[in-house]
Amino acid sequence: MATHVAAQQPAPKPAPPAPKRDLSGLWHYEGTGASEPIAPDNLIPPMTPWAQARFDAERPGFGPRRAPGGNDPILQCDPMGFPRVMFLNTPFEFVQVAGRVIQFFEHEHEYRSIWTDGRPLPTDADPTWYGYAIGHWESDDTFVVESTGFRDSTWLGSSGYPHSENMRVIERYQRADHDTILYDITIIDPMAYTQPIVGPHRILKLRPRDEMVEEICVPSEEKSFADRVAEPAMQKPAR
Amino acid sequence: MRNRPQSLLKYLLAFSTVALVFAIAAQAQSALQQPATKSASSQPAPKRDLTGVWQYQGSGGADSMTADKDMPPMTPWAKAKFDAEKPGYGPRGAPGGNDPILQCDPIGFPRIMFMPTPHEFVQAPGRVLQFWEREHEWRPIWTDGRALPTDADPTWYGYAVGHWESDDTFFVESTGFNEKTWLGPTGFPHSEGMRVVERYHRVDHDTILYDMTVTDPMAYTKPIVAPQRILKLKPHEEIEEQPCVWSQENEFAQRIRNPATPKPVK
Repeated sequence: MATHVAAQQPAPKPAPPAPKRDLSGLWHYEGTGASEPIAPDNLIPPMTPWAQARFDAERPGFGPRRAPGGNDPILQCDPMGFPRVMFLNTPFEFVQVAGRVIQFFEHEHEYRSIWTDGRPLPTDADPTWYGYAIGHWESDDTFVVESTGFRDSTWLGSSGYPHSENMRVIERYQRADHDTILYDITIIDPMAYTQPIVGPHRILKLRPRDEMVEEICVPSEEKSFADRVAEPAMQKPAR
Repeated sequence: MRNRPQSLLKYLLAFSTVALVFAIAAQAQSALQQPATKSASSQPAPKRDLTGVWQYQGSGGADSMTADKDMPPMTPWAKAKFDAEKPGYGPRGAPGGNDPILQCDPIGFPRIMFMPTPHEFVQAPGRVLQFWEREHEWRPIWTDGRALPTDADPTWYGYAVGHWESDDTFFVESTGFNEKTWLGPTGFPHSEGMRVVERYHRVDHDTILYDMTVTDPMAYTKPIVAPQRILKLKPHEEIEEQPCVWSQENEFAQRIRNPATPKPVK
């Protein structure tokens, strides 16, 4: 009987092997289906007093401290920023050209250039929302990205964890097969956290027949949504 | 003594001839050492290549696609929309306007083409990517042979397809625009039926002659043909990240712009 049942479910075909040094395509993070923090609360290392003060002042719309009338900057269409944009349920796309890999994020119609022309990471980059990134291939299947030059206006996730302008991010995109990237991220920010934040391993899957849609956060529409729908719908927090 | 003036003349002639020869040689030598001093624009355009950062040679401010007086007549639909807008520029300019970009709503296409900040072309397989420094916006221009869709969802930056008409002219058609954007700072509207045709003619290494035509029968009784513009290459430059951040724009308006705006003169 067991053999008969097993025969009705043939093993899925393995994906073809990964092309060498190529991340081109639309990728989707297989997470919870909602936006996630960079790491669960129990993996966030202790904050410095500077960061703790900032954290305590934030009023997130999600998580144990959620409350209406929050100050999450994305509620008024401030850029979500990097790396928070990596942990959403919307896809991103890699396009590889001479001298750079461009990473487009469907959320907010944003993008960043990951420079692959051999330039060093700058030590004095102007702080921006999406940072300054350089990348290189560690091997034929693993692309390493380092980035710096981030404004400290963005949150690391929807529960309000802060970061400083000194944040440095290291990512590894390992293309395990044609359809799969194993993704690792580490944040080093001694001004905010006493140890690096090491995100859990994540899986990104290729979506070969999809194209990104234009999804722009429009302040006039976001505000009117917040006034009409989101604010009235939020429950008062339990005290 | 009688021979002295003749010999002096010969001497002077010989000297000036030699000097002339040296001068010519020096100029030729200089030209050989610096072949590009005759300006880089004399270099020919690379074939089928718009790669680089380009600067629209405009007024230095935000321009309209064409002068107000050259706009074709509007339909009643468009006129009603136009009359309702309160732009910050032009003959009807007034403070406290409703220009959507003042609150960081997307500038949209084609208005963004006439901003004073640069844009960049990156050519990738199957598409040409166009990035605008202003607003950190971008659009793909699909070059994989697909047809322009007839039912594209309306977006702020539209849906564009492109192909090379010749080795130096890139032709772009776009559709699928939402009607929330203005064509320029003086408040001219457009409908979702707007169709835009552009030609990027790279005449030399550093110069593109740029033409645009907007066809929108729901809004204008004739196509809008913009005057030809010049785009110049800005080599060794990279565009910056310049998003419009409403919370910062709003704060600026509260603190500085609104108090500073003069009352309209009646």
